[in-house]
Amino acid sequence: MNKRWVSYIIAFFIIISLNFAIPRLLPGDPVSAIYGEDVMVKLSEDVKEYINSAYNIDKPVISQYFLYLASLFKGNLGYSLYYKQSVGKLLMSYMPFTLLLMGLAVIISSFFAFILGIESGWRRGKKIDLFLLYSIIISSGFPSFFIAALFLIFFGITLGALPMQGARTAYSGFTGFGITSDFLKHLVLPLSSLIFILIPPGYFLTRNAMLSNIKEPYILLARAKGLSDSKIRYGHAGRNSLIPFVTQTGMRMGTIIVTGSLFIEMVFSYPGMGSLIYNSILNRDYPVLQGSLLIVTFLVLIINFFMDILYVKIDPRIKYAH
Amino acid sequence: MLKVKNLRTSYGKNEILKGLDFEVSKEDIVAVIGESGTGKTTLALAIMGLLRYQQDNVKISGEIVFNGIDLSRLKEDELKKIRWSKISIVFQNVDNILNPVIPVFKQIKEILNSNDGTSIINDMLEKMDFPVSRAYAYPYQLSMGEKQKVMLAMAYILNPEFVILDEPTSALDFESKNNLIKIIKELSSQKAVLLATHDLDTAQNISNKTVVLYGGNIIESGSTKDVFTNPRHPYTRGLIRSYPSETRTKDLQGIKGNPGFTDNGCCFWPRCTQAIQICKEEKPLLTESNGRKIACHRYGIIPLVSVSRIKKTYENRSILKSISFDVYEGETLTILGRSGSGKTTLAKIIMGLIKPDDGEICLENMKVTCWDSAFYKKVQMIFQDTRAALSHRLNILESVTEPLLIQKCKSNEEMVDAAKQVLSEVGLPGSDDFLYSYPHHLSGGELQRVVIARALILSPRVLIADEPTSALDPSIQAKVLKLLNQIQEQRGLGMLFITHDLGVARKVSDRVMEINNGILKEKILR
Amino acid sequence: MHINTAQKLRKDKNAQAGIIIIILLLIFAIAVPIFTKAPDVFSEKILARPDCENLLGTNDIGQDIFSRLIYGLRTSLLVSVSTGLISTAISVVIGVLAGFKGGLLDIIFMRFIDAFLVLPVILVLIFVSVFIKPGIINLIILISLFQWQGTARIIRGQTLALKEKTHIYAAATFGSKKSYLLVRHIIPDLGHIIVVSFIYNARAAVFMEAGMAFIGVSNPSTISLGKIMHDAFKFYYLPAWVWWLLPAGLLLSMLLVSLTFLGNLMEKIIDPRLQNA
Repeated sequence: MNKRWVSYIIAFFIIISLNFAIPRLLPGDPVSAIYGEDVMVKLSEDVKEYINSAYNIDKPVISQYFLYLASLFKGNLGYSLYYKQSVGKLLMSYMPFTLLLMGLAVIISSFFAFILGIESGWRRGKKIDLFLLYSIIISSGFPSFFIAALFLIFFGITLGALPMQGARTAYSGFTGFGITSDFLKHLVLPLSSLIFILIPPGYFLTRNAMLSNIKEPYILLARAKGLSDSKIRYGHAGRNSLIPFVTQTGMRMGTIIVTGSLFIEMVFSYPGMGSLIYNSILNRDYPVLQGSLLIVTFLVLIINFFMDILYVKIDPRIKYAH
Repeated sequence: MLKVKNLRTSYGKNEILKGLDFEVSKEDIVAVIGESGTGKTTLALAIMGLLRYQQDNVKISGEIVFNGIDLSRLKEDELKKIRWSKISIVFQNVDNILNPVIPVFKQIKEILNSNDGTSIINDMLEKMDFPVSRAYAYPYQLSMGEKQKVMLAMAYILNPEFVILDEPTSALDFESKNNLIKIIKELSSQKAVLLATHDLDTAQNISNKTVVLYGGNIIESGSTKDVFTNPRHPYTRGLIRSYPSETRTKDLQGIKGNPGFTDNGCCFWPRCTQAIQICKEEKPLLTESNGRKIACHRYGIIPLVSVSRIKKTYENRSILKSISFDVYEGETLTILGRSGSGKTTLAKIIMGLIKPDDGEICLENMKVTCWDSAFYKKVQMIFQDTRAALSHRLNILESVTEPLLIQKCKSNEEMVDAAKQVLSEVGLPGSDDFLYSYPHHLSGGELQRVVIARALILSPRVLIADEPTSALDPSIQAKVLKLLNQIQEQRGLGMLFITHDLGVARKVSDRVMEINNGILKEKILR
Repeated sequence: MHINTAQKLRKDKNAQAGIIIIILLLIFAIAVPIFTKAPDVFSEKILARPDCENLLGTNDIGQDIFSRLIYGLRTSLLVSVSTGLISTAISVVIGVLAGFKGGLLDIIFMRFIDAFLVLPVILVLIFVSVFIKPGIINLIILISLFQWQGTARIIRGQTLALKEKTHIYAAATFGSKKSYLLVRHIIPDLGHIIVVSFIYNARAAVFMEAGMAFIGVSNPSTISLGKIMHDAFKFYYLPAWVWWLLPAGLLLSMLLVSLTFLGNLMEKIIDPRLQNA
């Protein structure tokens, strides 16, 4: 484990400070910046009191910051006037969908990206490689929200085969197996478009790694040893190509996954964090936005943390170097 | 077991191997020696059928016959059956030759198809004195020597009939090298081995046959002992001379020029000091004589001066009793002897200054009957007493150009140019000041250089140096000896060096003969 | 490392295509508005199909989609070039400084850079923009502030590697000052990396600006491709998507793909192992 964790802590404090500072930097007081100009007029006394105690606007900025930190560590992420609910609880109810979508997409897309990258790099310059390379380069140029929108229109409207919105059919009255299959059907489009978006970065990394790995001397030795093609491809070249795949994605994957799933959820109104964020933008529900930012950052940091552990497992040289 | 016939390989337009023919039979260990870029690794890969994975556009012609099967015609899946089980290879120990992220034990084990290979591997590792506990390490945790042992274990684990070793010792320190040579010898009994190396020590230690490769051609082959003790191709000799072996006492000499391989004529002629017209035009064929094969239009290094059965008696005292020896192109033969042992007499006889009682002298295989100007153009002498050897009346220019004047072959301007050139070759200035100075203006070291320059101005083939440095201070002597060595490297002079000083003899000679009571005997220097 | 960029470019058809597309898009964005209608003018025709008057029909409030598309492209190009320039400039300064000076400065810079790299940047941008509602200039500055870290990291790594190169040591043994090494050797040697960084940053900026606008976080006064898609996506169930959503998305994708091609060419030039691929 290197000094990454220092960066993680810094990253976390950057987000907390942004959350704290941005509303306060704007003209007027932070409460009206967050809840709107007329909030104090409309609200009931106890809510007003809650808000005032949460923001401590009558205290100096430094103590406001520390009080804010303290309340965060108590798990208090703020209160959404729109949903009339504490932000923490709200996020927890949206989180599982995002985790499900992200988790499945990451596993499936990594598998495909890795296999395609290895096969493509192994057949460098052949037709199948060029076909894969060009189609993936071009599709990687399409922004995720555009791809999602095309998936939605093509599969949902033109073919009419799959449900386009939400995670389940409302008021359907499905029971047992019906609920599950309805749920899965709703998952197909968001999941497949997210997979589609996540494949290119992994594919490029693996393919590039393959291109340099197949020129390494140990590949020639493996051939001389008479090993089978697939063993050389996966056991030797592929095994080494896994390293940049994990390390590089470790650095970037967190943000790519989160960004990707946010756009996808927005387009498909899939009831995860992405939709929540989208709605809070539309409704100017800033406490939710602040809370989501914090939680999503936390999520990214956790993904990175696990990637770091995996990274040491996958490249024995790292352990040795420390 | 393995027979290579007219093997040619090329990458695109770039021909690497230009028709190799050789054979490795059972229990043979054949060393392929040569500098980098001569095609040793290409040969190894060609036999393994791996060349096409190394480079695009590979073309192979000729035959590689292994146990009656031509490997170069086999398809990949047929080759796979032969690779490693019949023919295995130890690659050069470069970075990443072992997969960096797989424990070495696993990398050995994947060769064996069975699941119970552990005991076989352990036995093999034990044989090599490799601690089994280290076998579960990753390659980067092992030393160079340990990695090399892993590679050897891999190569020998299936008990193949034929093993290729590509520079097995190049990355190793002295001690691990000797250790490894021992292991290779043990493992290789009853196997055919092809050892590609530029490390002559290893080649000499392990192999029983040696093939010398230059520019993708075999230029010499024979039993290792013969090739190393009596190299016949100028390149082979140059290679051995450049190699700092433990027993070699003569200063290192390189080979003139740079390894640029030519396709016109003999591949070695631009660097060869005995090249003649035909060498530039025709490629020499590898021809056999007395169990040695050599590709040279001049049948190897030529004898320049052959002395046979020379006898000389002075006042009833027999000074030289039937003396015979040869001086070869590009070599230094030292005649070592006490003062009064007759060495100077011998030199004077060769130079035609004294008539022998009996015997004959041949120059380039032709018997010398009269010592005319044609003879002196080819044979020159440096005398012991340099101050006496130069006339005090002649200035340096006149002294140096005197031989040309005598041979009447050049105009005045040409003579001055030639003088300046040889003077610069011996490290003296060509300024007018110097040219018009007189011997008494110069120091002993400078005078010796002038004498050497004078001897060189006719471009002789043989230089007889009679105690050339005995009058000089050690620091000057060192410089003059180095100079002679360098001149020999550039011009390929045959040098007959006469001295009483064993130390000097050790530093300058390829061979030393000692004269004692009129009899000449070969002296082995250690 | 001697690199003949022009020669490499001549061999690489993708990069040629990329350059041609970018040049065409530039011409398109600069020249075509002379002939088109004003993009903000409303008309009576609402959600009309394409015809001679409105090449790509009209949107829900009667504006000409084609001319909006051109102005959107202008915004994308402006954002991409200026963000590319600003963020690359920052990353060169920080990266070279960290790599060249080393020590504590390097450690501090690197910790902060790594911290920024793990942030979900687009979310942070959305968050900040929602509050401060930036105009186009502020948006460019904002994206630049969150975009330079990745390339700064790469430039720092290269600088570290260059610092160990023998020709730099050699120059130092001639008695040159550090500033001389920096200006005459290190920065010129970084040339190709800097170009790659520019392309990379420019590409990321296009994506981010469009993404933000697509979500609905954008200044009402700027027309952008993302915003057109945002507006169009509300009507995805109508056939209008074919001449409304699709052209905007394709134009955006074209810009991104051509930048990718250029970036790939430069990467290949820098890493010779990727050649012949």
